[in-house]
Amino acid sequence: MSKTLYIDENVNDGIKKFLRCILENGKVKGVLTLINEGEKIAYSLISNPELIKYTVPLYPIMPLNAARSLSHITLSEPISEPIAVVIKPCEIRAFIELVKRSQGSVENIFFISFTCGGVYPIKMNVNGKINEKIDNFWRLIEKNEIDADLRASCKVCKEFIPYNTDMTIFLAGNKEINNQCRIFLNTDRAEDFAESTDGNIVQDKINTELIDELKVKRLEERKKLFEDKKIEKLGLEGLIDIFGRCISCHACGNACPICYCSLCYFDSQESEYKPVDYESELEKRGAIRVPPNTVTYQVGRLIHVGISCVGCGCCEDVCPSEIQLSTIFIKGSESIQEKFNYIPGKNPEELIPISTFDIKEFPEVET
Amino acid sequence: MNDSFKPKIIYFLCSWCGTGGSETASAFGLHYPENVLPFRVNCTGSLSTVYILRAFLEGADGVVISGCHPGDCHYNNGNFRARRRVAIIKSILDTLGLEPERIWFRYVAHGEGKRFVDTAAEFNDYIKKLGPNPLKTRRDI
Amino acid sequence: MRGAIFKIEKDFDKEIRNFLKKTIVKKFFGAILIPCKVPANDSYAYLLIRDEALIEKASILPPVMPIQGGRVLKSFTRLGKIDAKVAVIMRPCEIRASIELSKLEQVDLTNVTLISVDCPGVIPLSDYLEDPVKGTDTFKEAFKTWESDSVRELCKVCYNFTLTGSDLHIGILGSEQGNLFLIPVSEKGRNLLDFFNINYENDISSWENIVKKKEDERKIKRKEFRENLRQEIEGIDNLLKTFSDCLNCHNCMRVCPICYCRQCFFDSDALNLPSTNYIKRAENRGSIKFPPETLLFHLGRMSHMITSCVSCGSCEDACPVSLPISRVFSFVAENVQNLFNYVPGMSVKDPVPTITYEEEELKEFENPYIETYNIQRM
Repeated sequence: MSKTLYIDENVNDGIKKFLRCILENGKVKGVLTLINEGEKIAYSLISNPELIKYTVPLYPIMPLNAARSLSHITLSEPISEPIAVVIKPCEIRAFIELVKRSQGSVENIFFISFTCGGVYPIKMNVNGKINEKIDNFWRLIEKNEIDADLRASCKVCKEFIPYNTDMTIFLAGNKEINNQCRIFLNTDRAEDFAESTDGNIVQDKINTELIDELKVKRLEERKKLFEDKKIEKLGLEGLIDIFGRCISCHACGNACPICYCSLCYFDSQESEYKPVDYESELEKRGAIRVPPNTVTYQVGRLIHVGISCVGCGCCEDVCPSEIQLSTIFIKGSESIQEKFNYIPGKNPEELIPISTFDIKEFPEVET
Repeated sequence: MNDSFKPKIIYFLCSWCGTGGSETASAFGLHYPENVLPFRVNCTGSLSTVYILRAFLEGADGVVISGCHPGDCHYNNGNFRARRRVAIIKSILDTLGLEPERIWFRYVAHGEGKRFVDTAAEFNDYIKKLGPNPLKTRRDI
Repeated sequence: MRGAIFKIEKDFDKEIRNFLKKTIVKKFFGAILIPCKVPANDSYAYLLIRDEALIEKASILPPVMPIQGGRVLKSFTRLGKIDAKVAVIMRPCEIRASIELSKLEQVDLTNVTLISVDCPGVIPLSDYLEDPVKGTDTFKEAFKTWESDSVRELCKVCYNFTLTGSDLHIGILGSEQGNLFLIPVSEKGRNLLDFFNINYENDISSWENIVKKKEDERKIKRKEFRENLRQEIEGIDNLLKTFSDCLNCHNCMRVCPICYCRQCFFDSDALNLPSTNYIKRAENRGSIKFPPETLLFHLGRMSHMITSCVSCGSCEDACPVSLPISRVFSFVAENVQNLFNYVPGMSVKDPVPTITYEEEELKEFENPYIETYNIQRM
């Protein structure tokens, strides 16, 4: 049993009504959400309630992982007056991981999220194809099915139920999204906010049948994806084939919410080849790729961020060489996270496995 | 001219001549409009183009830059370099249709208190005529 | 202009490869930096080759430009020259970027011989990656006509597609007639040809005429392009609309050969403002876009590197949301560079405008003082 807010609108209008209410009655100073003013959709921090009518909080688009923006705002000081953010589950998880790394603060942020049906690649927002798709997207949510055009990482995502939110909007796994807006109230603060609006608060039982069904579908997709890409049998040759076209722009690291270093090791002087290095490589192999270390960069980045990778798929979205990065990162991080039984962003109190240790563990890695 | 409009003006002064000019002005009891905000930089040659652009894009109605007269620069050639940078910025803004006239570059020497005050007043009047910077209210910037 | 004329049998690619092989075998060059196909055959990468057998796999004019050559040469020589003499085969805009970088002390050209090739343009990376085989065919078509619509937007209107500040130029325009032109430009280039006893005193006016004709055609096209673009981007509304999709991923800066800073100002802590600042701005304007400061990034980056912009188009290739960055930058660059009468990368000798000055110049950017201003006012 949990407290639920019912608003008598469809899910999109319901959440907009709620956001407008809390902004108007001063519960929050601003709302960070997706806005559609004109043709293109982007994140925006809104403080004028009149602008809420342009927002599209549940739109299946992720321009850049919002955790990066939240960390950018809260890095030097926590937010002093409350703001509400409507972001996707993986964005909240990424932000929690950043907070664990002292790259931000959750203070005064009111998290609203939803059971996520996935997002489309950013290119579809750019070329406008998303406008054709969007009706179908809502229909597929009602049918509890997965669209084949979604981001590869979203089709195989199993953590689409948000953690650490104040409010969770019931989107994916809800057949009634066109008639009702159901919002679960997870914290006291959420109840307080909900009471200030004119929806009905009731004690409600969550029916998880459809969510479980969706999860099974996603897990099947996951298995299929890994099998299709033969990811377990790649080996060095396979990696060279995949990453051969990498142009060393490091866009993936720049877009990754977890890659927070302002200067990456692989951009630093330490990883730069000196003339004698080039000379010795030439002697040894007869030829060397310039700039060197493409596979090293990718595998190195996987090792650095793998433990916290939330599988948002932003890296693949921004790759100019269209490398299927998210598949490799999802598989790689899954194996790391399984070792430590760690789900990134699930529990804010839990330390990151690499910043802690147990005296009696992993005897198998000792030789 | 709209009398209620009080422009926000950023005035970059080099620490050797421009700032000196403002000190001389105060010694003579000269006044400049209070909406002109002076900023002291070490040398106009050390002022990155980004700071001028940032003032402009975040809604300052005008930006003035004052360094030493030619030949007077404490670092020999900082003011000439600054002039090149101002030329680059104004040329960029001009090409993109973004009102380069909101940026001024004028030499002010240490002893020229009146010149400093006059520049502030003249620029203030000029910007009042131009009206507010349209970028100030843009939400999509 | 004088140069050597080579009779070629089949394709120029093979002819040049054979020549390069000879330079390695005869130990004139210790290594050659040249684009090669990657193992998966779906893209190209620069390879520094010493083993002459590997030259066989090289490609003089690959259909795409995944990494700008200037960046490649920077990564190779930033920390100093290697002992061996190295030949670098690049497209003209890559050569120009390398020369700009050498003036900015990011590239050491001491032991490097720059060899440029006439360039018909490159296919945008995303178009090529869709189907590499088809991409190669499209490029072959572009190579034949030199007026293809499938090359990068900037390549269509580029008139610096030939001889630049390189040491040796390979003229392939007009190679259908069975001629290939080797044009030495500097001492290094002449040394190379002297070493192989190649006579470079031939008249090459046939090549020059074709080049001149193409250049003129392109200049007309460029004018048209400028006019169209001006209408598209000029003014606040148009400009903000142009950049509205920007994700602030800074990919354009990462692939730009001229943006050499290890850490960009816009990636540094300088713009990490306190949270109150953002909330205040949102209150003042009603809302602010996130990520913030995208236009500041583009204009700021522009003000930093525009005097050296070689209009290669790499930024647009790498943009995940396909903004017309390279067109905007090239458009602005032309105006700014004209201000200083500067063409980037044409010669190692003229200094970059931002690191030099003249006492008597740019008077039109000063605002002269009117002595009587306050008196008039009263």
